[in-house]
Amino acid sequence: MALEMSGSYELPVTREKAWEALNDAEILKRCIPGCEELEKASDTEMKAVVVSKIGPVKAKFRGTVTLSDFNAPESYRISGEGDGGIAGFAKGGALVELTSSETGTTLVYKAEAQIGGKLAQLGQRLVAGTAKKIADEFFKNFAEAVASGDA
Amino acid sequence: MYAFDYQRPSALDEAVALLRDLDEPKVLAGGQTLLPTLKQRLAQPGSLVDLSRIPGLSGIERRGEGLFIGAMARHAQVATSPLVQEVIPALAELAGMIGDPAVRNRGTLGGSIANNDPTADYPAACLGLGASIVTNARTLVADDFFTGLFETALGEDELVVGVEFPAPARAGYAKFRNPASRYAMAGAFVAQMADGVRVAITGAGQGGVFRWAEAEEALHADFRPESIAELTLDASDIMSDLHGSADYRAQLVKVMTLRALVAALR
Ligand SMILES: Cc1cc2nc3c(=O)[nH]c(=O)nc-3n(C[C@H](O)[C@H](O)[C@H](O)COP(=O)(O)OP(=O)(O)OC[C@H]3O[C@@H](n4cnc5c(N)ncnc54)[C@H](O)[C@@H]3O)c2cc1C
Repeated sequence: MALEMSGSYELPVTREKAWEALNDAEILKRCIPGCEELEKASDTEMKAVVVSKIGPVKAKFRGTVTLSDFNAPESYRISGEGDGGIAGFAKGGALVELTSSETGTTLVYKAEAQIGGKLAQLGQRLVAGTAKKIADEFFKNFAEAVASGDA
Repeated sequence: MYAFDYQRPSALDEAVALLRDLDEPKVLAGGQTLLPTLKQRLAQPGSLVDLSRIPGLSGIERRGEGLFIGAMARHAQVATSPLVQEVIPALAELAGMIGDPAVRNRGTLGGSIANNDPTADYPAACLGLGASIVTNARTLVADDFFTGLFETALGEDELVVGVEFPAPARAGYAKFRNPASRYAMAGAFVAQMADGVRVAITGAGQGGVFRWAEAEEALHADFRPESIAELTLDASDIMSDLHGSADYRAQLVKVMTLRALVAALR
């Protein structure tokens, strides 16, 4: 099943700073909810281990995070794909756009997610909410990381 | 199922110590959510800490004007308790609407609220009555306890001990069941309390159970169906899935709220 989500955040930094942070594996690792490992395989590809907890379900996904469609410092795509073993698979991506604003930068994202396997059978009633929650949490963490000057 | 250790403590302190010290422990109450998850191999806890042998966790007693119900009270026990039927009949009715007889004979109040499934019934009763959740460490009002989809304020080694329900002047619950699972596609708990009207909605919110503020205000002004006849619930934070779109669910919420109100006025 496929889901679509979107949202926007105000970042109190310049667009260049925000762009740098979007391309920083360390920051991404801290912002991806449940991310246990994120290792650079190349400039645009990272190997990831993400633990996802939804109610009683706890599944470990191994997969990749890829950055593409670069249009520096305005937009790119971040996508992820993971295999949760018996739990099923999950994949998703987001188009992220940065525009300069009076107070800094506005980040707008349009994301979509897809899951399959047991998780999808079990979880019609929970998956939509969860995908949205994970996307929201990622961009909220990112906005906080950038605001706190960690970036 | 993956292998796990099994512990059955006989005191609350012991259970809390186990949760603190063991590697990846998980509390087992009625098992109606946890066991199917384990059977599907969708979780791999190191140990299960079974609460069923801890004395004093399943009582139902009067507390002031209201009730105190232990975390291990089964749904069937709440549904058939003469005390609950007398003090908060809507709560007994709600417990009787959960799942099927097998689920009601095993599932517990504590397990239901700790899980905070966005389509479960008890969270609506707790929020709708302004209940207080008692844990081994503190007491939390329902508004602070339910924090999001499948999320609560409970810490890693914190246990629900029971729930204090204030008695309403009048209350009612109505839900539209998903015909397969019997979970709520929309459920509304309406309660007229000493300090105002509360309307809690389950089954519909993307972030789980929530209060419908406009309906509360309208009913506080005048506790009758006409007061909310013209209201519509904003569908932007409502769940949309294969069982129903957000707009459909928003409409269902309104219908369930009206039915709950009619039940409260009966
Ligand atoms: C077929 C079916 C239909 C159902 N229909 C409905 C329905 O219509 N409406 C509805 O509301 N529910 C429904 N349920 C859910 C059921 O009502 C149980 O309430 C729910 O499964 C959780 O309670 P439990 O006692 O079984 O908890 P368990 O499955 O044992 O545990 C659930 C979770 O809560 C944690 N937990 C349990 N007790 C505590 C505690 N005291 N303190 C801290 N954490 C705790 C566990 O670690 C676990 O994560 C249904 C279940 C099934 C299988």
